[in-house]
Amino acid sequence: MKLFSTYIKEMKIAARGFYFYVEIIFAVILLVILLVAVKEESVSKEAEYLYNDIPSKITTYLIEKDINEGKARIAEPTEFKMKPVTFEITNQETSEVTLYEFEEEKTITVETLEQLDPETGKLTRTAYIIDNEEDMIRLSYSEGKIGATVIMSEEGELTYKYYLQGYETDRLVDLLYILHNESGEVLTTEMDNQVVRKLGFEQQLNNRENLLPMFIVFTGSLMGFFIVMAYIFLDKGEGVIKAFAVTPSAVWKYLISKMGVIMTTTIISSLVITIPVMGARINYLLFLVFLIVTTFASSSLGLLVASFFDDMVKAFGIMYGLIIALMIPAFSFYIPSFDPMWMRILPTYPMLQGYKEILLKNGDTGYVLIYSLVFLVSGLVLFALANIKFKKTLTL
Amino acid sequence: MISVKNLSHIYSNNDKLAINDISFEITKGETFGFLGPSGAGKSTTQGILTGLLKLQKGNVHVAGYNMNKVDNKRFNKIGVSFEQSNVYSKLTAKENLEFYRKLFDVPTREPEELIKLVGLEGKENDRAGSFSKGMKHRLTFARSMINNPELWFLDEPTTGLDPTIAATIKEIINGQKAKGVTTFLTTHNMYIADELCDRVAFIIDGQIKLIDTPKNLKLLYGKKLVDIEFIDNNEVKKETLKLIDDNDKKRMYEIINKYKIQTMHSKEATLEEIFIQVTGRGLI
Repeated sequence: MKLFSTYIKEMKIAARGFYFYVEIIFAVILLVILLVAVKEESVSKEAEYLYNDIPSKITTYLIEKDINEGKARIAEPTEFKMKPVTFEITNQETSEVTLYEFEEEKTITVETLEQLDPETGKLTRTAYIIDNEEDMIRLSYSEGKIGATVIMSEEGELTYKYYLQGYETDRLVDLLYILHNESGEVLTTEMDNQVVRKLGFEQQLNNRENLLPMFIVFTGSLMGFFIVMAYIFLDKGEGVIKAFAVTPSAVWKYLISKMGVIMTTTIISSLVITIPVMGARINYLLFLVFLIVTTFASSSLGLLVASFFDDMVKAFGIMYGLIIALMIPAFSFYIPSFDPMWMRILPTYPMLQGYKEILLKNGDTGYVLIYSLVFLVSGLVLFALANIKFKKTLTL
Repeated sequence: MISVKNLSHIYSNNDKLAINDISFEITKGETFGFLGPSGAGKSTTQGILTGLLKLQKGNVHVAGYNMNKVDNKRFNKIGVSFEQSNVYSKLTAKENLEFYRKLFDVPTREPEELIKLVGLEGKENDRAGSFSKGMKHRLTFARSMINNPELWFLDEPTTGLDPTIAATIKEIINGQKAKGVTTFLTTHNMYIADELCDRVAFIIDGQIKLIDTPKNLKLLYGKKLVDIEFIDNNEVKKETLKLIDDNDKKRMYEIINKYKIQTMHSKEATLEEIFIQVTGRGLI
């Protein structure tokens, strides 16, 4: 009863204040952007640089075959200006290092092949076919994209030599290895030893849906971190926490009621964005569970940080640092090949991945549930620490 | 109602004791004044007694609760009025009190009744944010009574209030005393303490210098004085004479017989003067 009346009081205060509407208005703005400015259709900017070290007749045959099957179309040739550059390449198998030095600027025009989804006819990626391997390597390095040399073995089978940037995930490297390994025996062995996850989820989510995880994380789950701090600092300014502390009601109820307000606004704002975009295609129960536990964890972190400072100005430095750190996983989310291990310890990484799994048609529910538990436990620990700190700092 | 034995407290950011081995008892129904300048240890003591500061050393019992053990239920018996008003500015006066009353497990007073009592009638539905400092202070004061406290902590209850409102607050405090409420009054205003308190304690540098009734203190430390203004050779002169000094007595008779008296006032020493005499320090 005390908790409920405290929650109602907090809702009244929030509804008469500014922060309550910030989150919801922001969500509406993002929704408008999603629906108006972001087209559903995916315009792929994925590119690959290929050097075909195979007879030209075979190259022509393969291209024509893809065109006839609706898998590709010839586009206008593309011109690339390559600047002087020096770099090294390490052979992953032999560890042999090769130095490449290009002192002159060079302009090349290459054949461009647009690869299409045979079912929808939509552009999925662009392949640039370069007529010498050195230029392909140089271009791949300069553009920061994967390059490949296609070779025909003595047995007449196509094999691939990939040039990667070095920061690609092990998953991607393993997948490339498995995809083009011509030995069925090795393939089976490798398949048994690998956990293969779907990399190309952009093939299943359109552009609009693809932006949802980031919007939900930053306007929903993470917004709780800032808004709860703002509410606490408002109360600290008015001294009302002390007034609450001299009642038979426990401080944790006060803190939970703050979270209740955050949960309410987060659920509203996240659904405002999600329902119009996803309709009834996702499991909303799972979505709400994940939303609530992630918001609980982030607002507990906000409570803990707020317990150390008297006002927003003093807390600004740490707040700013945290938001920058927590935004970093967005890079990995949109550039799957950039996925260093250290980034995975940032809480926004599993948040983004979790929402992605929820939005996918055949997403990994296990992943979502495991991280729901992780966020719940972390949230409880952070909340307990915040509660202890608040009780200690309630001096007259 | 309150028992404090050998209480000491130190803050982590200071190596000096904020409270240094103090002991006192307050009986039920007593109004006890805790007087001292800023930084003397008044608020720290009140913080420990209300449980907002952790008891570090000593034995403290408040309203039947041992302060070594944390039990929020004790606040059903306690009311606290803070020096700095702390009400929700976005809630109305009535909403502030309505919310607060729901936090208690005991019968509570009607918000309208308390609002009327502190002179805020007609402002029930105004948001506290629109109130003046004095009005907020009165609302904070009213809130401290909502659970019919047996033990009432008042921190500078009349500071910043105009004389009329201050008189109303003093009247309410006396009314509560008549009902048997025990009051722990923290102030540096000796006039308020003199008017309201059964006993006062002088605290300075974390130590209690003395505890007694205001009347006894005046008898012990006060010097009965008479201020006389008289006309001598068409000139108004003023003298202050001690009634306990024989020479001064003679001089007073002389003045009365010889000169035309303009004004004559007997004067008692104030608590403030006694405080300075006892502690060697002022109250600011």
